[in-house]
Amino acid sequence: MRTRRSAAVAAAMTAATLLAACSSGTGSGSGAGGDNQTLTIASVDQGSVEKVVDAFKAANPGVTVNLTTSGADQYQQQIRTQLSSGTAPDVMTVWPGNGNPGATYVIAKPGYLLDLSDQPWAGQLPESFKKVAQYEGKTYNALFGLNGIGAVYNDEAMTKAGLTAPGTWTDLLTFCKDAAGKGTPAFALGIQDNWVTQIALYALVATTVYGTDSDFDTKMAAGQATFAGSPWTTAMAKYQEMNSAGCFQKDPLGTSYEASQTLAATGKTLGIIQGNWIIGLLKQKNPSGTFTMKALPATDDPASFVMPAAAGAGYGINAKAKNKELALKFVTFVMSPAGMKIFNEAQGSLPTLPDAGTTVDPGLADLTTFVKDNRTVPFMDQLWPNAKVQQTMLSGLQEIFSNQATADEVLTDMDTDYKAGS
Amino acid sequence: MTTDLQERLPERTAVPTRSRRGRAAPPWWFTVPALLLFTFVVLVPSARGVYYAFTDWDGLDPDFAVIGLDNFTAIADDPDALQAIWHTLLIAVAITVIQNGIGLLLALGVNTMIKSRNFLRALLFAPAVITPIVTAYLWRNLLGPDGAVNSLLSAIGLDSWRQNWLGDPDLALWMIVLVVVWQFAGYSMVIFLAGLQSIPKEIYEAAAIDGSGPVRRFWSVVRPLLAPALTINLMLSIIGGIKLFDQVYALTGGGPGHATDTISTLIYKDAFTLGEFGYSIALAVVLTAIVAVASAGQYAVLNRNERAAS
Repeated sequence: MRTRRSAAVAAAMTAATLLAACSSGTGSGSGAGGDNQTLTIASVDQGSVEKVVDAFKAANPGVTVNLTTSGADQYQQQIRTQLSSGTAPDVMTVWPGNGNPGATYVIAKPGYLLDLSDQPWAGQLPESFKKVAQYEGKTYNALFGLNGIGAVYNDEAMTKAGLTAPGTWTDLLTFCKDAAGKGTPAFALGIQDNWVTQIALYALVATTVYGTDSDFDTKMAAGQATFAGSPWTTAMAKYQEMNSAGCFQKDPLGTSYEASQTLAATGKTLGIIQGNWIIGLLKQKNPSGTFTMKALPATDDPASFVMPAAAGAGYGINAKAKNKELALKFVTFVMSPAGMKIFNEAQGSLPTLPDAGTTVDPGLADLTTFVKDNRTVPFMDQLWPNAKVQQTMLSGLQEIFSNQATADEVLTDMDTDYKAGS
Repeated sequence: MTTDLQERLPERTAVPTRSRRGRAAPPWWFTVPALLLFTFVVLVPSARGVYYAFTDWDGLDPDFAVIGLDNFTAIADDPDALQAIWHTLLIAVAITVIQNGIGLLLALGVNTMIKSRNFLRALLFAPAVITPIVTAYLWRNLLGPDGAVNSLLSAIGLDSWRQNWLGDPDLALWMIVLVVVWQFAGYSMVIFLAGLQSIPKEIYEAAAIDGSGPVRRFWSVVRPLLAPALTINLMLSIIGGIKLFDQVYALTGGGPGHATDTISTLIYKDAFTLGEFGYSIALAVVLTAIVAVASAGQYAVLNRNERAAS
């Protein structure tokens, strides 16, 4: 009897081990052919990279491209497995700067990326992009698109409500009250998906923090500044003030990103605070709609407004690429006016290099002006030392919205994670 | 009473053992192929995985250090991890109790002679055949601020009952329990139903003739004879509850904040969002230990009851 019981215990333990062990999947190995006409690419740019690959193949007859695309979460998990097991593709999506598991610093540090510093485009990248395309002074990331964050208004809904886009912080609060009074809240906010929580905050931080102190990042890195006690506190307070002034629809924490798009696209809210990529998504839901992006007013001095604008994910080359020559050819194509134009137009992004000839959505005129006038700041997380700072901010903002934490507590936690370093 | 019987009928209880011993035992080396397969497909990879729990591996850099028990002490100091362990246990217990309670009631209901019983059995089991991630996304829409649940409440004049079901940290965890129970109560029902149908009619009839009412019949006849079905059901639901991931991830992503994070969602986030593989594997080891202790303990207790009842 005793043996039977211990056998049962052993069986239970084994079952348990199996259950926990079975979660570890293996990355899909990419078998590149031995010939030098096959290129393997892994990308997160679903819906746009396919067009670029087609154009690349048309320009290079006889070339075969094995392209795999996936969502960012899945991609980051898969690319790490592939890199550490030596089965990574030749060309792969790499995020600018630091702060996420697929970012330039993270992948370049262990030597997985090919140095692209000698490429002609590497020298032409504007200074703010060089910072996030380089690691220790060498360029690793071909950044082709620029994205900005602002208030995106549904033109038709605005006309219907008889309201115009607010130009100052005071106007914004009045605008929110008027909009809510008409039964169509000003902005859709879908923060059930926690990454969305940061977008409106970044729009406020750009002006409140960087509008007065463009060296804030340098001071943070040198330990001379902290989140808590800095103008980040002001931005947090304004975010909450917007919420209590009725700027957002009811129950934002129960609303998904997807649902928030529907609200803004169909005019149930007058707009949405998001990145310029949202315009394409809103048009999918409302093909006849037109949408205009403006800077989100964070103070009463429009001259001080700064918009968050940063390079989106670009492409890096595997240091152990099976076909380096073709990989370089592809990256050169992405950075050429022809390739960049295709990418930008399919994604609704702005080009990172001048003279790409990209046709920019007319709704993005404001963003284009801000970029030209150098009144932009990269997304704040791109220069943070680790991924944890951002994750703490994201769940912290959800906690603020559900009264589980205060803004000061969240900023203090972010400081702790920031100081933990890389 | 059982011991009494055993003393009086020693030869009967001894029979199966003797016959088992009497049969020629197969040579031990017959098990070698299976053992080898098990060792190299299960034990070795698992052990190698566990090794990383004692390192600071980031999932990428081949240079990592062995840091002993640091990851485990970090779990003990991490309020998010402790909260996730608490949520995991709470969800597992709630699901186990509610799912099996409802499953048993449903089984008793459709085990009667009502006309639509076959249709009802199929209908009640139907949710269990849908992929959990799909039901979770369906419910995420139903429970949204303007979803079907809130619309229904308004339609029947209960506007004040409308809730931010998944966005309220006090409600979200229970919504996850609700979705899991909704999906798997029918599964428990089927197992209970099989147990119920294996009880011979004669025993019911004898009990009825002896004058026992329905409650008494349930307690003295059905309950003990249903013990094996109960063991299986409790085991399945407690293990399923402890390692719950899909439904949590799809419904709330562990939020708002960390209000619904379980050990499994934390393992996922720590590994794939933060790149803290060592730490997250240490969490997986803790999860494995919890599942092993819970299932072994439960098995031991229920097995004893089962034997006592039979």
